[in-house]
Order: sequence, then structure tokens, then C-alpha cells
Amino acid sequence: MTDLNQPPYPVVLKPYGQSLVALAKERADIVCLTGDLTRQCEIDLFQDSYPERFIHAGMAEANMMGVAGALARDGFVPFVHTFGVFATRRPLDQIINAIAFPRLPVRILGFMPGVSSPGGPSHQAIDDVALMRAVPNMTVVDVADAIEVRQVASAIVDVDGPVYVRLKRGEIPLIFGDDHELRLDRADVLTRGDDVALFASGMMLAPALAAARLLERNGVSVSLVNVPVIKPLDAATVVSVAEAATVAVTAENHTVIGGLGSAVAEALAEAGLGRPLRRVGLRDTFAEGSRTGPYLFGTYGLSTQALVDAAWTALGRRDPVPVAEVAPAEEGEYSPV
Amino acid sequence: MTRVSDPGTHWEVTDPARLATIIRLRAVRMVAPQGFGYLGQALSSAEQVAALFSVMRPGRDRLVVSPGHYVIGIFAAAAELGILPEDQAAAYGQDGSPVEAIGTERSPVADYVCGSLGQGLSAAVGFALSDRLTHKDRRTFAMISDGELEEGQVWEAAMFAGHHRLSRLTVLLDANNSQVDGPVDTITTIEPIAAKWEAFGWTARDIDGHDVDAVIKALAEADDGNKPYVLINRTSTTHGLDCLPPDADGHFIKLPAELAARAEAELNARLEGHK
Repeated sequence: MTDLNQPPYPVVLKPYGQSLVALAKERADIVCLTGDLTRQCEIDLFQDSYPERFIHAGMAEANMMGVAGALARDGFVPFVHTFGVFATRRPLDQIINAIAFPRLPVRILGFMPGVSSPGGPSHQAIDDVALMRAVPNMTVVDVADAIEVRQVASAIVDVDGPVYVRLKRGEIPLIFGDDHELRLDRADVLTRGDDVALFASGMMLAPALAAARLLERNGVSVSLVNVPVIKPLDAATVVSVAEAATVAVTAENHTVIGGLGSAVAEALAEAGLGRPLRRVGLRDTFAEGSRTGPYLFGTYGLSTQALVDAAWTALGRRDPVPVAEVAPAEEGEYSPV
Repeated sequence: MTRVSDPGTHWEVTDPARLATIIRLRAVRMVAPQGFGYLGQALSSAEQVAALFSVMRPGRDRLVVSPGHYVIGIFAAAAELGILPEDQAAAYGQDGSPVEAIGTERSPVADYVCGSLGQGLSAAVGFALSDRLTHKDRRTFAMISDGELEEGQVWEAAMFAGHHRLSRLTVLLDANNSQVDGPVDTITTIEPIAAKWEAFGWTARDIDGHDVDAVIKALAEADDGNKPYVLINRTSTTHGLDCLPPDADGHFIKLPAELAARAEAELNARLEGHK
């Protein structure tokens, strides 16, 4: 893992917002829509730079998706921004009929994925990947760090058909080195090991890295795979890595139903590959009672320890589980719980 | 956990104007530990909440809070009136607390709280319809916000309520002209608000939402007609707290310790004046 930073990770602010402005300079066909969450989605930068291509849809997500679909029919590439919950739950019918069925190039950016929000169940996108995965023609992306975030707008702008991207809000950790390339056509195998195949997406890459390091120190070798694209899944890489390991573990900031864990399970089953599988994520529950994201990540089993526990039990180990320690993070740094 | 319509629930409001000031003071104390929060919603709705608790019949009428961000004002009033235990009010928005900052299904006090905006009026319509079907003498009050008028579901509910002449349904619409991206009128034109509701079969009144006596009077007369009633309350997210900076973000006010102390002093001084 020599090309990866170590926790606590340095953080950057608004990498997505800056990259969209840079892309829009090259691409006059990009229009930017907001559902009353402009600064929260980092597109105040776009509003300042290209006000004539910036559209306030207000708190009206169903209408926003319908308008975006029609703009795409006329040759624009709409980037649509709101929180992940409001981007997927409320306007699902509009996304399906006005965007996905006609296979239009609408790019839907859903901020505050999973339990990264302190806003309670109404503001937690714990099912957005499942909802968007179920929609035909939709590409589903969950990027892991600021290096990937900076590249995501360019990576998706010319994808055939609609794309859903979930993006962490606020301070974004720098995990990869500058030379890391976000590719939509393959999952990244970051380490090779023959005990555990660990598949992580989005915000769960950071705890997955910490878990992999702890397991290695305790004699368990890990193949760690970063899976930024949940659909279409790079099934070939998933199956080959799992085949070379004894057990498989998935890690997602999302319900374990319908997201990365389900996608990996389907790929393994369809390949006829039997491996004990543990899916780490929300266990079919809403997440309640929060002031802070880390509280929820710890309480609902999205921690480094939860990943180590999952690998340990999948391997059938009876000896004490290694205990994860959280790297203390100062202001301007990020550590997973 | 007590809700306003639970049988046996009791409270009494003796001085609504004073209660509105107490709501502001308690909201300041609830937001202060975190240094920011939904104080603006409490400031704009304080008189509406005080009026609601003055007019609602405890243990009978029902309350729906559509914008979950407004539960802070409800909790503040409920704690003052003895409906919400002080320790629960003090745990507002903390890790592990059931009293979440954005209201949820499990929020105490109100009969129904929505966290996702634009959905509460439908619930209030359902309650009013249920009471009609079961011949109950019960009013349903719904708090909604002007920003929510941008959501289509509000108008689906309004059209339904008008068609069914749900006259026991009363809406308090907080027209504070504030949403996340700025003043509502810079994002979407929602005026003329009253004419829209009237066109959908409602009785509409447009008043100063910080005149607590006027709000109480309107809520009392709202039950007389044969149509659902919407009270449009013109308000401000900084009303009643002069120490706030003029550029305070009404949706999510920053309240550092020093400002919180000044806010507390200002509101305590005003409470002295109520005596």
C-alpha cells in the first residue's frame, strides 16, 4: 500500500465543486441544477462562474428531474444536485420515466451518503444505491476519496445513459496518491492476499484499509478491492479476487440489502463460486439518534472493528479478535471509526 | 412519551406573549451546546407555537409538524408547559438521543412529525378525514412552511382537502421567506399565497405572524366555516432576538458561546418586562 496515505488523512474542501467548474469551462453543454442545497452540494462555485447555466429548481425534486430529462433531450448534459435521499426516494418515478427509460445523459449527484448525515432517517440515504441499481440503464458510482471525487465529473460526463453518484459532504479525505486514476470499468485491487477478499466502496474504503492493515499485522492476508462503480459491477475482478481467497467481506455505508454486498453476492453466485460472505453495512435498520456521523458509524456497525470482526468470524477463528484503534484526527484531518 | 392528543394530557397557557419569549429563550439554550442549529425556525414560529398551545384542546386536538426542523419550538413550549421532561429537552440533538434535531417518526409531543419536507399536510388531511369518518369532535392543526409550497405534494393535499371540505383542518403556514438557498422569493415565486389556497377551496387569512393575539383569534375563528382554513403568518427568522447579526442564515443560525450569552441576557431582560 505504498501509494496510499495513512490515517489520519489530510482533507480537502469542495473538490467536486471545483472540478465541475473546470469541466464546465471545456463543456458548454453542461447545465447545473440545484434542489435548494447549493452550498451544501459545492455548486455555489458553479453559480458564481456560470450563472447563465445555473438553475434553481427549488425544493421540487420531482419537477427538477422532469426538467433535467427534457434538457438532456435537447442536448444539454444536466448535473442535478441535492442530498442523496431527495435525489432518489421522492423523484424515483420521474427518474425512471423521464430519464432512465429514454436513456438520457442526466448526472444525478446525491450528497450525504448513508449515515454520514446527522439529520435523522429522513436525511440519510441508506437505500439510494439499491434504488438506483434497480433502475435499468443507470450507472451507480460511490467514490472513496478526494482524488476520486476530483475526477468523477470528467469520468461520468460522457457515459451513455444516466448516472447516479453519491458524494460525501464537507471535508473529503485524501487517501490515494495523486497518480490514482478513477476508472468506471474496473475495480481497483489495492492489496493481494489469500485469506480475505475485502470489497469496499465510498466512505467505507478508509475503515477497510485500517481493517486490512490490522488483519495483516495479525497474520491474516487481505486482498482489498476498492469498488467505485456498483453498477455495472466489475464482476470479473470481484470473482477472481474472491476465488483466490478463503472468505469474502463487503463494506458499504448503506443497507446490506441491494447495494455493494448484494452485487458481490450475485456475482459470486452467478459464477458458481462458493465463499463464506459477510456483508458489513446497515443491518436492515434505520439509523437513529445522532449529532455526529462517527457516532452512527460506530453504533450501526460501520467501523474498522466491525470489518475485522466480520473477517475473523468468516474465517472461523475462535481466538480473540484483534482490537482496532482509531487514529486520532485533528481539525482538518479525517479518520474512520 | 406524551403527545398533545393523548387522553389525560394537560397544560395551560396563561400568557401567550410571555410563552413566545420563553420559546425563544429555551431554543437558544437547546442550540447553544452545538453552536449552531435550527434557531431561526423557533424565532419565526414562536408566536404560532404559543398560539397553538393556547387554542388546542389538550387530550383531544391533534398537531402535525410538517417541517421537522421546527420541532425545536414545539419542544421548547412543551418543556415549559410540563409535557416534555426537562432531561429530554436537554438531550435535543445529542448523540443517542431520541429527541433528534430534525424531527422524526419518534419525536415526542406532536402527533406526527415529518423530517422530509412537503409531506405533513397529507398526514393532517388523513387525520381530519379519519376524524370525520369516526364522527370525532377533534380539530387537526398542521404547521407547514412557505418553502414547502415548492413541493408538489403540498398542493395535492390542498386540493384533496378543499374537495372534501375538511373544515376541522387548520393550517399554520409560516411565511418567513427563508429556505436553504436564500429568500424564498429569490428561488421560486410562491405569491400570491392566499389566492392559491382560496382557488383550491380553502379559507385563507394573511396576518402578522408575530402578533400572537391575532394568531390566537384567527385560530379560534378557523373552526367556524365549512372549508379547511389556512393562516398565512408573515414572519422573520430573526424576530425577537435583536443581537443576531443582520446576515444570519435563517435556516441554520450560528450561535457561538459569546452570542448565545448575549441572546440569553436579551431574552431574560424581555421576560422581566412580561411580568
